[in-house]
Amino acid sequence: MKLSGKLKLSLLLITGFILLFAGCQDPPIGSLERAKYALNQAGKSGALRYSEKTYREAEELMKAGWMEMARQNGRFAPFRDYKAADSILNLAITTAQKATTDAQTQIQNLQALTKAEREELYNDLLEWREALNGALTKFRAEHYWNSGELAYKTSEKLMMNGEYEEAREVIAEGKESLKKMGAILADYDNDEATKIHIWRRWVKETLDDSKNSGGYAVIVDKSKHKTYLIQAGKVIHTYDCDLGYNSAHQKMFSGDGATPEGKYIVSEVKTNGRSKYYKALLINYPNATDKKRFQENKSRGIISGRARIGGLIEIHGEGGRGRDWTEGCIALTNKEMDHITKYIGIGTPITIVRRSNNWP
Amino acid sequence: MLKRLSLVFAVLVLMAIAGCSKPPEAEMQASQTAIDQARAAEAEQYVPDVFRIAADTLNAANAAKQEQDSKFALFRSYGKSKEMFIRAKALADNAATEAAAEKERVRVQVEGLITQAQAAIDSANAALAKAPKGKGNKAEIELIKNDLTTLGAQFEEAKNNFTAGKYLVARSKVEAVMQKANGIINEITMAAAKKK
Repeated sequence: MKLSGKLKLSLLLITGFILLFAGCQDPPIGSLERAKYALNQAGKSGALRYSEKTYREAEELMKAGWMEMARQNGRFAPFRDYKAADSILNLAITTAQKATTDAQTQIQNLQALTKAEREELYNDLLEWREALNGALTKFRAEHYWNSGELAYKTSEKLMMNGEYEEAREVIAEGKESLKKMGAILADYDNDEATKIHIWRRWVKETLDDSKNSGGYAVIVDKSKHKTYLIQAGKVIHTYDCDLGYNSAHQKMFSGDGATPEGKYIVSEVKTNGRSKYYKALLINYPNATDKKRFQENKSRGIISGRARIGGLIEIHGEGGRGRDWTEGCIALTNKEMDHITKYIGIGTPITIVRRSNNWP
Repeated sequence: MLKRLSLVFAVLVLMAIAGCSKPPEAEMQASQTAIDQARAAEAEQYVPDVFRIAADTLNAANAAKQEQDSKFALFRSYGKSKEMFIRAKALADNAATEAAAEKERVRVQVEGLITQAQAAIDSANAALAKAPKGKGNKAEIELIKNDLTTLGAQFEEAKNNFTAGKYLVARSKVEAVMQKANGIINEITMAAAKKK
């Protein structure tokens, strides 16, 4: 069978059209738009900061898919094939979604972690404050507690600005401050543990001497904030007293705010008008032991070479303020000064201990 | 015959010359450099939407060029992609400028806060210096001094963050310092009022 020229031409045209339209696929514009949207969402979710690697991967995949789509666009229509472009763009979408999820998870975890650490710091701050019952200054620990408190407040601001990692660093610094405070208190406890027997002995000696001589003596228990008037080895009167603002420590140098611990005697009785604080009983601080300890501390570099040992430690009036405010003296109320000075004179033993439970 | 062949050849050469336009390499390079500079200027963080538009325009320009690259040489035309590269460069330049402006805005804001915090610390120190001193309030004064020392250390840290360009971190720390410094001033004022 022989086909005419016209028929041949028509068949050729039909085949051409079929090829043309069969080969024509739509470019994956929808996938490209979805990839762009997913990437945009990832950026807004903080992926650039918290899941940057995955975000960059998604970005590169989107570009690669886009380029492949463009490459196919440039081809002769019957030969276009967008399968690879669509597949790459879909991979870009899932990768961008993963970047979003990873960033959100990371942020949630950091939020939860920072919140928990802040709560822990807050509880530690409260516990220390309660445990020390307002006596932080006595241990020279206020500075550390303040640092901890400031860290707590700063971490709140950082959290509000989404700076979780920085907030965690600040919280860790706050905890470190409290740890240092703990170490100071531990040192203090150790110091007490080694010295308690000495204080007990001083109390016992003072009581025994008073008993033997039938005379008067004064014992000051710094931890109890009590001053005991002793006669013939018995407590005949107890006064509440205010102490130096660093009363929990042994006095080391002039201006440290600590009330000295040791066995002293009254060296001068100051009547009203001769004392800045109503009436006063001057004690013989520094005694020989104080001077020896002061020199040792200086030579060991514990205190500055320019430090002075100080003096003028008294039992004086204008106390009864319910807090430790003196430079190292023992303050009673004026009425109590009137009372105690009836019994005390020059040479009366004054024993000051940090604490003791060795009572008769 | 020879005449006819020469004519056909001449037409073909003309067509080839007309179809083979050059790819816009210089514009492409310039727009890529501009987007890299915008990224270096932290445009992604400071003006993300502006940066995204510039980056997408560059991607679209690259796609348009790729489309032409894939065509038969005689049918290539890079006019559209060239125009897009030029537009992408302008957008990227704008993103870099806006990022720098936004960064500067935050910097100036934090700088202002630092000045305010310094003033608050100075006021607290001045108030402390003026506070009546005596045996009775020595302990309180010591406490406030301690507070101010702690505050000073944190303030230095914030300033270091600022110098390192960590403006948001610096801002949070300076805000906390100011809050505390003002608290101290109040404390001193109240204590002084009580004394009167």
